[in-house]
Amino acid sequence: MTSVNISLDELERDALTEVVNIGVSRAASSLRKMVGRQVLLSVPSVEIVTQAAAASLIGQRESEDLVAVKQDFEGAFSGRALLIFPETKSLELARAVMGDEASAEHVLELESEALAETGNVILNNCLGTMANMLKQSLKMSLPEIIRGSGEQLFAHAEDTDEGALVLFLYINFSVQDRNIRGYIAMLMDLPSMAALKILIADFIDRVTEDAG
Amino acid sequence: MSHAEGPDRIDEDGADDLRNQLAAELARLRSDIRDAEHRLHLTLDAAGATGGWEWDIPGKRLTGDARFATLTSQDPVELARGVPTSRFFANIAADDQKRIRLAVAGILAGAEIFSKDYRLVKGDGTTRWVHAKGRAIFGADDEPLKFVGDLVDVTEQKRVQEQLRIAQSAGAIGTFEHAQGFGTVTVSEQFCRLLGLHPTRILPVATVNQLVHPDDRPIIEPILPDQPKPDSNIEFRVTRADTGEHRWLARRGEYVRDLSGPGLRYIGVAYDITASKSNEERLKRLNEGLSESVRERTRDRDRVWLNSRDMLAVTDARGRILDANPAWAAIFGVEIADFVGKLVSELAWPDDADLVAAGYAKALREGGAAFESRMKHADGSPRWLSWTASREGETVYLYGRHITVEKEQETALREAEAQLRQSQKMEAVGQLTGGIAHDFNNMLTGIMGALDIIKRRLASGRLDGVERFMEAATVSAQRAAGLTHRLLAFSRRQPLDRKPTDVRQLILDMRELLDRSLGEQVQLLVQPSPDCWAAVTDANQLENALLNLAINARDAMPDGGQLSIETHNVALVGGDVPGLTVQGKHDFIAITVRDTGSGMPADVLEKVFEPFFTTKPIGQGTGLGLSMVYGFAQQSGGGVEIKSKLGQGTAITLYLPRSLEERDVDIRGTSQVPQGAGESVLVVEDDPSVRLLVVEVLQDLGYSAVEAVNADMAIAKLRQDIHFDLMISDVGLPGMNGRQLAEVARDLIPDLKVLFITGYAANAVNKSAFLADGMDMISKPFDLEQLARKIRAMLADPTS
Repeated sequence: MTSVNISLDELERDALTEVVNIGVSRAASSLRKMVGRQVLLSVPSVEIVTQAAAASLIGQRESEDLVAVKQDFEGAFSGRALLIFPETKSLELARAVMGDEASAEHVLELESEALAETGNVILNNCLGTMANMLKQSLKMSLPEIIRGSGEQLFAHAEDTDEGALVLFLYINFSVQDRNIRGYIAMLMDLPSMAALKILIADFIDRVTEDAG
Repeated sequence: MSHAEGPDRIDEDGADDLRNQLAAELARLRSDIRDAEHRLHLTLDAAGATGGWEWDIPGKRLTGDARFATLTSQDPVELARGVPTSRFFANIAADDQKRIRLAVAGILAGAEIFSKDYRLVKGDGTTRWVHAKGRAIFGADDEPLKFVGDLVDVTEQKRVQEQLRIAQSAGAIGTFEHAQGFGTVTVSEQFCRLLGLHPTRILPVATVNQLVHPDDRPIIEPILPDQPKPDSNIEFRVTRADTGEHRWLARRGEYVRDLSGPGLRYIGVAYDITASKSNEERLKRLNEGLSESVRERTRDRDRVWLNSRDMLAVTDARGRILDANPAWAAIFGVEIADFVGKLVSELAWPDDADLVAAGYAKALREGGAAFESRMKHADGSPRWLSWTASREGETVYLYGRHITVEKEQETALREAEAQLRQSQKMEAVGQLTGGIAHDFNNMLTGIMGALDIIKRRLASGRLDGVERFMEAATVSAQRAAGLTHRLLAFSRRQPLDRKPTDVRQLILDMRELLDRSLGEQVQLLVQPSPDCWAAVTDANQLENALLNLAINARDAMPDGGQLSIETHNVALVGGDVPGLTVQGKHDFIAITVRDTGSGMPADVLEKVFEPFFTTKPIGQGTGLGLSMVYGFAQQSGGGVEIKSKLGQGTAITLYLPRSLEERDVDIRGTSQVPQGAGESVLVVEDDPSVRLLVVEVLQDLGYSAVEAVNADMAIAKLRQDIHFDLMISDVGLPGMNGRQLAEVARDLIPDLKVLFITGYAANAVNKSAFLADGMDMISKPFDLEQLARKIRAMLADPTS
């Protein structure tokens, strides 16, 4: 196991998971509206690993090439967010979004656009909710589609090296009657990670007081 | 319920009764409720039902069913009616509080899924693990309206999971589960660790299988069987995803009916067997190495077997050849196939077959035997072989070395040695005879010359000075007699005339002779001890022996030196000195001849008593001297000891037995010649000159002598003449010999004394066996004085 423990303790991880959970729930809700079907979510899992480990992790879990929607974010914490699907699932997702009546050619033709839009909705919801929960705001760039193996997805950014840490969120979406599964990965540098840690601690204090 | 403010006033006593009744009723009801609750608990416990809850988010009320109430140790009635939402966290273990509050906060803030495990503390202080699974229900505006879910007691499950986890990590056993037709496999963390994968629960089949060596069976079988069955143990190599390390894994499992689907499901475990595999590999390599070295050795042995020039064979216990090496063919001139199956003894030279059989018998008996035998060559000639047979169980290993050439060489060597010895002997004899002839010629010249002069003087009537020449002739003749005596002693055919002898006097008398023999460069010290005992020996032989030793000593001192002759008395037992064979302790006279010469090395010392051994240059020695001395000493009943060191001289000691008859010591050349008194003597001698001489002497001495040339004539004389006092007879007569004649004569004249004269008495070496009572013997040549004494002695002794 190559994950690196940057001082997030168990509770902080739980808290981060919860924040992600909230964000993903919002994103799923948006997706639900887009596809008009029930969207089921798995409990998200959060890992902090190196880029190389993240790449091999996805490589191990997915035997086919991947498609990712990428968006950079800036704010209290900055980095890059990736919504990653196995290639076949991405088509499935595009078809789900575009409706069963769309022809196969149409789906292929508009796949990238559909994916970019879906990704934008999901990532915006997810990150926006997270920022909101942490009482921060984030500025998001336009979505971009990238394809390739896990290594290629993570190596895409020129300014990151393989040892850089990745906040790796893993979540299974499954759209009713469709086998769709995806990952959300957030790449952050150490200063952003440290800032996030502080925000998480605040969040913990707040919610445990509120609910008490 | 108040007492006094009721609308109707009731009798005080009645009111008390009612109150008591109500109290009793209340107690009964409460008891019933408790019972009911208890029953409910039991029922719920038995049913294992889930504890559901519903959290009204905007209304801030929590409701839960009886099971939820029981699990959280709260009043079911209250929970059914609704309680503040904070009661959700009631009795959650302190360690889990924050975590759960955090998760609930997430739901309230819009998270959809809630799935947590946590501990609840019971009234009795025990804790139970529960799994809470819930979700948020959103309104149209996406705001969460309700948080619903249920609790399951998973304490047992947790325990089992923990056990499983420990079992997996401690045993390094990973579990996996694969349903037919699925592209993914459910795995345990330990399974991921075994393969070097990031721990996860679900992995694509391809991810798992691509780590397996292409030649091995995959971890996840692509095709499942039709019927449930246990799977065999499958071993395979993997390349770990994280380190790239190669490991051996094994998997076992079972195909079972899938509970949730129509097909089969494979439930299996995987574990690392690299260590045992590498041990196995090492063992295999060791084994291979071992069999390789065995093969190599076998090849070596084969080479020895094939290339050996010596014969090697394996036979059974009877000697039947099971296998033979090519040397057999080479040595016997026959194909190996012709040997196999035959008995070794069949191949032997007919005369040696028994030898081979005996050798085999010995090998069987004692485990090994070595023997030599001749074997038949294809051409019919014999071949000598030296065999070594060793037995192991019922098998005999036979090793044969071809030694025909050695045998021939050995024979040739023996023959050559015999020839050499013969030629050496002949050379020695030639040397000896040459020397003797030379000496004799000198002596004969003296005798003949003297006699010639005497004859001429007598013819001319000049008798003055004749004695001088006669004396010269006598001396020469005595020397010649001494020489022949020595020759006979050497040939051991000289009967020893053993008598008590004054050794000291004998040595002193030899002084002059020795002085002359040794020359001027050698200083002679003659020191016999004054108390020297008399010895029983032959005085003449003793003289010869001493002379021989003195001459050897002289030759060992070419540049001069000192020679001493000394004596001492000593008591010895048999074996004290070489050649001494007496029983018990006896007195001996030791005569030591010591020189200061070159000495002898040990290897020469060993051989000095061997006949013909000589260290002198060819032509200068016969090699008989010491051998003769040794023979003489032994015949005398004594021995010889030699001590020598190279460069430090030699000491040879003769041991002669002591004479116990001190009185009757032979001291020679003293008294007068005894005279006869007319006794009649018959002289039987075929040699006319000897006969003449003896007759003349007898007449001179006053005896009456009658001559006979041979036995027949002697017998005739004996018959004619009634009385003879003495018969003197040569032993070696033509026809009947002297001894036989004596027998005849005794028949005629029973008390006739007989004196034998012998020159060469092969039959008379042992005098006592040869002679009967009244008989004696005298050796040729003898001087007349000696003869006179002998005759006188015989005639004087009435018994002899």
